[in-house]
Amino acid sequence: MRCSAWALAALVALMLPTVLDTFWTSLLIQILVFGLFALSADLLIGHVGLLPMGHAAFFAVGAYATAILEVRHGQGFALSVAGGLVAATLLALVFGLAVRTGDVYFILLTLALGNVVWGAAMRWTSFTGGENGVSNVPPPVIAGFRFERLDDYYYLVLATIVACAVGYRMLVRSPFGLTLRGIRESESRMRALGYRVEAHKLAAFMLSGALAGLAGILYIYWNRFVSPAAAGFLVSAEAVLMVILGGSGTVLGPFLGAAVIIVIRSYGSAYFVAWWMTAMGLVFIATVLWAPHGLLGVAERFRRGRRMEIAGGRLASEETRP
Amino acid sequence: MTPAIETVTLSRSFGGVHAVDGASLRVPPGQRRAIIGPNGAGKTTLFNCLTGVLRPTTGRILLFGDDVTRMPEYRRARLGVGRTYQISNVFLGLTVLENVVLAIHGTRPRKWMIHRAVDRLSDTHAQALGELERVGLVHRRAVVVRALSYGERRQLELALAMASRPRVLLLDEPTAGLAPAERQRVSELIATIPRAVTVILIEHDMSVVMGLADEVTVLHRGKVILDGPPEAIQGNAQVREVYLGRR
Repeated sequence: MRCSAWALAALVALMLPTVLDTFWTSLLIQILVFGLFALSADLLIGHVGLLPMGHAAFFAVGAYATAILEVRHGQGFALSVAGGLVAATLLALVFGLAVRTGDVYFILLTLALGNVVWGAAMRWTSFTGGENGVSNVPPPVIAGFRFERLDDYYYLVLATIVACAVGYRMLVRSPFGLTLRGIRESESRMRALGYRVEAHKLAAFMLSGALAGLAGILYIYWNRFVSPAAAGFLVSAEAVLMVILGGSGTVLGPFLGAAVIIVIRSYGSAYFVAWWMTAMGLVFIATVLWAPHGLLGVAERFRRGRRMEIAGGRLASEETRP
Repeated sequence: MTPAIETVTLSRSFGGVHAVDGASLRVPPGQRRAIIGPNGAGKTTLFNCLTGVLRPTTGRILLFGDDVTRMPEYRRARLGVGRTYQISNVFLGLTVLENVVLAIHGTRPRKWMIHRAVDRLSDTHAQALGELERVGLVHRRAVVVRALSYGERRQLELALAMASRPRVLLLDEPTAGLAPAERQRVSELIATIPRAVTVILIEHDMSVVMGLADEVTVLHRGKVILDGPPEAIQGNAQVREVYLGRR
């Protein structure tokens, strides 16, 4: 049952570009890319219990580094991608060392650091191109094949996302993943049990930054252009919104949240450009109030409706045991 | 013999308050030591210094003869210092089994493993079930801790401390807030801890202290005012004075 559902999903994902026009294929690529970006943020939100408000920094640094290597230094795909990944991970290392706090301090510090990167993208004109950004990024070339057509690039993105999602799922189910959730629940108890909490947090932060950087790299090869807006607060906030809306602590949730937000934005912005921010705010409030576990949480509630009752009965009978 | 834990004129003050004030004690390996004293005597502060949560203001702490005064908490845990908390400190959002698995992995490199699912590690799983068996929570293994009763959380607290295989175990009021029957149960659980483990417990209930302790240390205003076998402490006039507040 589960297996066949996945097989069907895989078939649909593979067939989609053949039946969709370029507008929708483009939308699909964005959903996958920003879904991965949201997933990277959710490693911190849903597992470590930290709320990053400046995650666009890693996304943008990945995109900028790759774009600059391609456009200005004429480097190939492999080296440019590696450069983007290294840059994003190193930035996460530096930020991670700076952000050795939790709770509201973490939120404020990541917000500030995110703005530092945005400021650098804006003002360091000689390196980043300032407001003009970096344009004319060529399509990726792997083993002589140019991913020029949008459909071809869709498959490259899909393969990358599937690999990342599988790896991510493995990671969160591993002892390391459980360690992160232990830190979320009680740092003091973790220390008393022999965990060097800061080291695990830093590792999670770097992994998250690297994934966000990878999303930025996938973005630049689709958009062929990057500007300071990619490092902006809105991009960071949207990632958080996607996670909360879809369902935090899951693999599918961030992608679901990305799908809803990107589709609404693409259609909605045609009608209410000025009201876009207001609409996002309302979506956020509605989610927090009525679906705190996101869309996946709502789906689970419907699906489990009957089973929960039975499970509740079993637990109750356990309680009465001597 | 080298003591398991030794403190040399240990002090810790908060501003002008001397919570622990020149306390020296030696606990030989395998001993069950009870620490008693009225509220505010500095018992929990002493524990927090021993585990590394707090740095002492002055004085030294030796663990099996090694100076650990400035060693961070996680490293002391790896050297075999385990503890429980006065107010249960367990992982509320995780299942009972996950709680114990975290405790088992804490002192091992396996906590960094990323390529295998936790629930596929059969040796960890078996050990975790063993720890739960011992405290009588094995039938509750799949329950999220938030759904446990207060008494069950105290039992889990003990299971977590034991699962990290400590050499020195510090129990901070393990029976606090429990009903008499549960109190009895936890007391019996503590009695089954192997003698290879040195146990230091803070406890107010004198019947628990009498049943478990080899030796009792009385703490008052951060100072050790008396040390001796439980029978001697029970009848001591000075101890009674400290508790009843006449001075």
